[in-house]
Amino acid sequence: MRTLAEAAIIVAAGALLGLAGNAASPRPAALAQPVHSAAESGTGMCAVPGAAPAARVPRIQVEEAKGLCDACKAGFADARGASEFAAGHVTNAVHLPPAGHPEEAISIAALRAYPMVIVYDGDYTCALADEVAHRLLREGLPDVRVLEGAWPAWSAAGGAGTSGFCPSCHDPGEVHR
Amino acid sequence: MNLLLALLRIGLGGTFLYAAVTKLPDMAAFAESVANYRLVPPSLVPAVAAVVIGVEIALGALLVSGRLARGAALVGTGILAIFTVGLSQALLRGIDLRCGCFGGTESATWATVLRDGGMLAVAIVLLVRGPGRLLPERTGTRDRPRDASAATEG
Repeated sequence: MRTLAEAAIIVAAGALLGLAGNAASPRPAALAQPVHSAAESGTGMCAVPGAAPAARVPRIQVEEAKGLCDACKAGFADARGASEFAAGHVTNAVHLPPAGHPEEAISIAALRAYPMVIVYDGDYTCALADEVAHRLLREGLPDVRVLEGAWPAWSAAGGAGTSGFCPSCHDPGEVHR
Repeated sequence: MNLLLALLRIGLGGTFLYAAVTKLPDMAAFAESVANYRLVPPSLVPAVAAVVIGVEIALGALLVSGRLARGAALVGTGILAIFTVGLSQALLRGIDLRCGCFGGTESATWATVLRDGGMLAVAIVLLVRGPGRLLPERTGTRDRPRDASAATEG
């Protein structure tokens, strides 16, 4: 009984301490504002405003994807914004953000040359790559995967990368989202 | 045994403190991690995130200091059981998420579940066996009648 009373005191004190800590945090959680999971709400950092959350497309691990990249057995599609793409992307990847861009058809045609297409974005929790992957599947591409761990995992694993704006991104300042 | 229990208690308390300190600078990110477990209604996520960190601080301080240690072990058992179940259900549902354990971007894996399970086992041991003692009890305390034995020997 005494242990239970102690536990109740600890939880109550902890709750107050946590609220105080949140108020003192440089980046507090907004208590009055609901926080949805990135996958359910489509409000993650890579989500397209207003877009419905996409179902999960089969994943591929970085190591397997690296092998396919080195052997030119897979095409890569980068689903991030133009500036992120320009800062660094998988070598020979086409830029294919969910909102599309003027010469998207050319990019998709280029991907048809590969038996498999691997789509990636900037954050493994976001649905951006899933959205693009679904679009490619609807376009009739037979085997589309999403890169597990996204660009951070690829670059951390030393995957082939390059930088520069995509040819279709006419205005380097324009962010295709 | 007392020393071992005390070391386990201090280790567990230190881990809770470290976990809280790494999350405090970015509570908003931790709230997102909590949301991604999809266990808490979105409207409650920020408050739950704040309470979890506060409880971790309280638990850490109490376990390290040894005050209210049994109550702290009970709360620790509860919170670690929730963490372990939360992580496991997310992994079983195929939810790809950051564990949110020590701030940063550590992914939740079965190794994370194992780690939480280990901490849960420590909390249960502390709950059942007591907090232990870092230093031997002083002569004359009720648990160790050293005076009597010393008198007999003398």
